[in-house]
Amino acid sequence: MKNIKHILLSIFILGAFSSCEKNLDQLPFDEFATANAFTTAQDFENGIRGVYLELTAGGFYGSSDAGSMLSAPDVMSDNTTLSQYGRLTKRTLHNFQYSPNASMRTTYQNAYSLIYRANQILFYADSFEGESKDNIIGEAKTLRALAHFNLVSLFGKIPTQSGDANGSLGVAYVTEADPNTEPSRLTVQETYALILEDLLDAKTRINTTNPAGRLNRDAVNLLLSRVYLYMGEWQKSIDAANAVSAQVAGRDDVVGVWEDTSRAGLIFYIPNEAPILGNNIGVTWSQGGITSLIPEYVASFELNNLYDIGNDIRRDAYIFDGSVTSGGITTNFNGIKKLFARPGGQPGVVDYKIFRAAEAYLNKAEAYFRAGNEGAALAALNTVRSRRYLDQPSNNESGTALLNAIKLERRLEFAMEYQRFFDLKRWGDAIQRTNAGDVADGTGTPSDVLNLPAGSNKFQLPIAQESLDANPNLQQNPGY
Amino acid sequence: MKHKLPFYLSCLLMMLVQFGFSQEKSINGTVKDDQGIPLPGANIIIKETNSGTQSDFDGNFSITAQVGQILAISYVGFESQEVPVTLNTNTVNIQLTPGATLETVVITGYSRRNQTVQTSAVVSIGASEIAEMSPVTSIDNLLQGKAAGVQVTAANGKPGQGAFVRIRGIGSLTAGASSPLYVVDGAVIQEVDLASIPNEDIENITILKDASTTARYGSRGASGVVVITTKKGKRTGDATIRFTSRFGVTSRVNPNFEVMDAAQKMQYEAELFALGVSAAGNLPGVTTTPGTPERQFLLDYETDWQDLMLKDGIIQNNNISMAGGSEKMDYFFSVGHDRNTGIIDQLNGFERLSTRLNLNSDPKEWLSLGVNVGYSRSTSDEPRDRNNAQNPFRAMYDYSPYETEFVLNDDGSIAVDENGNPIYNPTNTTFNVRGALLSEPAVAIQNNWLGAVNAEVRLFSGFSYTFGVAANGINERTESYSKPGGILDSIIGDPANPGNKLDTGTYRYDITFSNRLNYNLDAENHHLDVIGLFEYNYNENNGYRVRSIGFPSAELTTQINAAQVTVGETTRNKLTLVSYGAFADYDYAEKYLASASVRYDGSSNFGKDNRFGLFYSGSLGWNIAKEDFFQVDAINDLKLRVSYGTTGNREGISRYAAQDNVAFGTYPGGSATTPSNIGNPELKWETTTTQNIGMEFNLFNRRIRGVADYFVRTTEDLLFSIPKADESGVGFIFGNLGKIENKGLEISLQGDIFQNENFKWTIGGNIVFLENEILELPDGEDVTPGNAFNILFREGAKINEHYLVRYAGVDPATGAPLYYGADGNTYRAFDLPEDENENRVLQGKSTIADREGGFFSNIRYKGFGLRTDFVFKAGNWINNFVQSNLISDGFNIQSNQALDAFNYWQQPGDTNVNPSPLISQEELGAVNSDRFLQKGDYIRMRNITFSYDFQNKVLDKLPVSSLRLYVQGQNLLTFTEFFGDPEVGISSGETISYANSVAPGEATLYSYPNTKSIQIGLDVSF
Repeated sequence: MKNIKHILLSIFILGAFSSCEKNLDQLPFDEFATANAFTTAQDFENGIRGVYLELTAGGFYGSSDAGSMLSAPDVMSDNTTLSQYGRLTKRTLHNFQYSPNASMRTTYQNAYSLIYRANQILFYADSFEGESKDNIIGEAKTLRALAHFNLVSLFGKIPTQSGDANGSLGVAYVTEADPNTEPSRLTVQETYALILEDLLDAKTRINTTNPAGRLNRDAVNLLLSRVYLYMGEWQKSIDAANAVSAQVAGRDDVVGVWEDTSRAGLIFYIPNEAPILGNNIGVTWSQGGITSLIPEYVASFELNNLYDIGNDIRRDAYIFDGSVTSGGITTNFNGIKKLFARPGGQPGVVDYKIFRAAEAYLNKAEAYFRAGNEGAALAALNTVRSRRYLDQPSNNESGTALLNAIKLERRLEFAMEYQRFFDLKRWGDAIQRTNAGDVADGTGTPSDVLNLPAGSNKFQLPIAQESLDANPNLQQNPGY
Repeated sequence: MKHKLPFYLSCLLMMLVQFGFSQEKSINGTVKDDQGIPLPGANIIIKETNSGTQSDFDGNFSITAQVGQILAISYVGFESQEVPVTLNTNTVNIQLTPGATLETVVITGYSRRNQTVQTSAVVSIGASEIAEMSPVTSIDNLLQGKAAGVQVTAANGKPGQGAFVRIRGIGSLTAGASSPLYVVDGAVIQEVDLASIPNEDIENITILKDASTTARYGSRGASGVVVITTKKGKRTGDATIRFTSRFGVTSRVNPNFEVMDAAQKMQYEAELFALGVSAAGNLPGVTTTPGTPERQFLLDYETDWQDLMLKDGIIQNNNISMAGGSEKMDYFFSVGHDRNTGIIDQLNGFERLSTRLNLNSDPKEWLSLGVNVGYSRSTSDEPRDRNNAQNPFRAMYDYSPYETEFVLNDDGSIAVDENGNPIYNPTNTTFNVRGALLSEPAVAIQNNWLGAVNAEVRLFSGFSYTFGVAANGINERTESYSKPGGILDSIIGDPANPGNKLDTGTYRYDITFSNRLNYNLDAENHHLDVIGLFEYNYNENNGYRVRSIGFPSAELTTQINAAQVTVGETTRNKLTLVSYGAFADYDYAEKYLASASVRYDGSSNFGKDNRFGLFYSGSLGWNIAKEDFFQVDAINDLKLRVSYGTTGNREGISRYAAQDNVAFGTYPGGSATTPSNIGNPELKWETTTTQNIGMEFNLFNRRIRGVADYFVRTTEDLLFSIPKADESGVGFIFGNLGKIENKGLEISLQGDIFQNENFKWTIGGNIVFLENEILELPDGEDVTPGNAFNILFREGAKINEHYLVRYAGVDPATGAPLYYGADGNTYRAFDLPEDENENRVLQGKSTIADREGGFFSNIRYKGFGLRTDFVFKAGNWINNFVQSNLISDGFNIQSNQALDAFNYWQQPGDTNVNPSPLISQEELGAVNSDRFLQKGDYIRMRNITFSYDFQNKVLDKLPVSSLRLYVQGQNLLTFTEFFGDPEVGISSGETISYANSVAPGEATLYSYPNTKSIQIGLDVSF
């Protein structure tokens, strides 16, 4: 009997000891070793799409309630009015009440997260010799430049904004995927120099055409023309704009562009279809249907009136007549249509439109005007106007009237399209809202804050306290 | 007569030689205590045989024995006596002397020891005590106030929800790593799964606090160990059938503040609009005039949202068990049903069915086999625990009282839609949660298996070998449905594909294979136990998520009929642990005690070269009262003990944290590579070193009983998700960081104030005085943890201190809120010195209580009993976000407000007021201040029970052997100065989840409120 016990015991113990320690080597099931993820051409295609994917993050070109590139530049402007009928999101931005404790940190983090991914693929692309190498590098560098450009526009001054802008605080320009980096902020001038360096290199490498959702040479040139415009490099802005080959969408296409039935004039957009993306980005402006609207923001009464209804096609494309009925009372709104929905589609699910050809002409118009070439400026302006109005209100301004017309057209063309706050900022203008309310006829509750004086420190958003806490080398903007 | 014989005694008996005489005698006797009170259920065993009996309710017994045999009489809490059977032995009247608390058996999972020879700080809670405590569905809640040094905070009041249990402070800085290790019959289970074990199945809960026992769990014992043992039958032939039943009502613990009614709210709106708060302009307080029909209409249809949203819930519990055994086997079988509807109107709450079978048998003289299997199934409604109106507990404060549940027609009747259904009023929040509770249901269904099998082979001369497998499998499915046409669906749904359903499933699996070689030496004065251990633990999680849209009917609740699948994914991860251990316990005549352990553990989630950690402990004890020279009458027992040891932790980091990994998302065109983990190959064990010195004593015939322990715990190489600079773009990296220390004094005291034959009054209590400090951080730099609101870690500060700007009250001249700048002067928000880093301060105000414990009184008179238990907590600070929303200075004017909001600055000279809403509007959010940071001190009457145990003369006429009836109240009284309920665990489950909470109790944010209850109950045995 004892023998049986000993045999049993030996079997148990031997069996157990022999096989266990190798079980300590565990590899993940849901992930993949980074070192093996950047080898083949297909890996680099996957990799570059990973960089783009971060563009859709909530705080970047997504719909974060805390504000994003998609919403903040219009929320912080005269284009919108806070609706009392919604969830009151982004109110600190609209009221310019942001502080290090209530800032756009998510945007800041999302942008640098994209930059990390761009730097990672650039690191691996160095030793990749496939034929797509240049295109991958070109895209990665453009994305890296775009992220830094968005950041410096929000958190730093714009070179043309004021005389001290170039020497003031820009942002940290990160070019290596280093988890331990604790960079300090460069000056605005240094930041722009590095943005240009990336874009100019990208321009020579990137394909002239790439699949939908990807940047191409037109996009690089368009971004270059905007960066130069912000820098006051008028001729370079014009040259870059001239290098854009895409044509401005015709009047008949304008509504369709915003309902995703036309791609006319789009230089860079991201298809937003379930199950690949299918993100409800329109929630940033409103929820519900046309007659059951829950608006977070409405188009300001002033902006709405700037569109000549029936004549200017953009009123139909950008603003809709929404309403909500509660307790038998119907309230009408100037709803924001740009991200509202595809007709009959899921609320808020429309493509992300990031660059359009019209901007090349409006950048060029402004740059020509600043460079003293009013004729060319007017021509560029009219290229856009002739494709927006049935009956163009005027076509031969000059002098200040021309500049004002260029500024106005830029506001009308890019309302709710991530430009207004930066435009007012770089022109050194104040933000001046009217006293009209949030209801369609101008009644209702006006915005709490109607004015942000030119030169206010609030044109530069505060760096979040958490960001400062995590990086001892980081410096806060003045006034916070 | 019942014949029962405890299993462990029978084991002992088998080892001894049997000798026989042939003359039988029938012996009658009684067993009483030193006061002459009969002891029912005392064990009377004929030594060296398998026979024995128990005394009845009056302490009487009768037994047949042979001359020359020895009767051993034992009773838990008393010293055993032996009586030789002689020719003249006919009647045996025994008086046992108490040995009370020191005889408690301590179960560590690897061994059992009597408290007398125990050298570790350990608390043991037996079945009888568990039965007397508050009826709770999760065991962790039950531990509150029961053991010194064990801090328990209910996560929230949701039925079936667990608690945050912290043994001797916060052992780790990451989420989830400060919970103790839970071991049920040898199987490791997670804190969140404790609710799968009904209290009625538990024989014993042993809490291991210091390193001399926790080090035996080496790798995972750093935050203490809770060892739970389920019941087993007694080998006395006849089965005991026990039936317990409770029924009662439950409701919210009433808040200690009031919100505005409709008239007050409208008055407030009018006042603020008059001040210049423009957002009030479209609210009824402004748009209607007092006295008009419009105003009257609003007043007539006023809604008390708290009343509407909440209900009195029902608690129900029924459990039946059968236990017994014969000479070579024993069994315990139980089946139970629990229901707690919770307090949300329209929801069913929590329901659980559980069953268990424990079997032990001795098929060979040298072989014992055991199997414990438990199964439970629970369903639980999962209301949204988020910080907006989708959460009923936020909505009931946010909805204004003049807002109605349904849209009303002009005549006050309820408006209906084209299908004739009432139309829900979206209210100021745009979301009607009353409707959503019906149209957006979410339910979690859990199937939980817990099983252990083991075989013990007794080898030669004191050696034995045990092989055991213990496994725990949890299958959980959560179904969240947004019905077509429902409240949420009509806001965010796809009109072309109405309805949206998400099914999430997890299958979690944990198995431990254990091999133990035991050596036991039981010589005259020398007692030695040695255990050699080899163990392998394997843990696997599997998950799936499937989401579809496009449901043709709200009645269809599975996804097969949905138009389009939008999410479909599966996930898996694994974690393994290999352990080698050796443990030894020695005592000399129960006077001099020593224990030592060493354990070598390797875990798969660390860097390749850092997987193994060595953990060890040593402890010594001295039972002074057992010394011959020690002759102090007043002192019955006195033991000193000291221990030192190390334990490890591997929780709080992801399973593949040491490796650089990517994952893939999708982007138009195909897969998209995204970094998923920035690896840290240096990752290694977090190590805790505990030093403990303790004393146990019993005085005055053991009428006063006490335990005191002083401990110092230092934890280093803390596992932490270290935040990286935002500019790095990686968020955080898992790493080892810094060093913290917890030290404290634990005292438990109990005394029998009065006791005689009929009446006994016992009071007792325990308290821990806790201090903690962050000793070291990398490079001495501050660390801001994620998954917290305003916590900062700084060297020299306490753990989890709030880091906020100090609020300086209201400027009496202007009504503006003022704050202290770094220079100590007061400023308006926008005038604060620019470097705000300096304006925020640590004030020694931590989320961790520095005094916590409980006390009780237990009065017994004949069959009547009155037991009250209190729990208390002091020294912690809570950021009261709920109050800041309810007194928002006009910022949340569209939502209802607390009555205190009326108390705002109106004219120069006003003091002790809230800031002027006009100014506060402009400056709100500018400063993260401590204005609403409040002390979390409270005393709560956790339990009051009035019971009656039927006496023998009644029972004799009934076919039952015991019968107990009781009425029990839970949380009926609370003493606190906190605004709201001070027992705060989770702030908001969807903001920071239970599992991710770094600083439980940091802030209040509308999680499920705590409840009170009154129940009646019945315990009957046959």
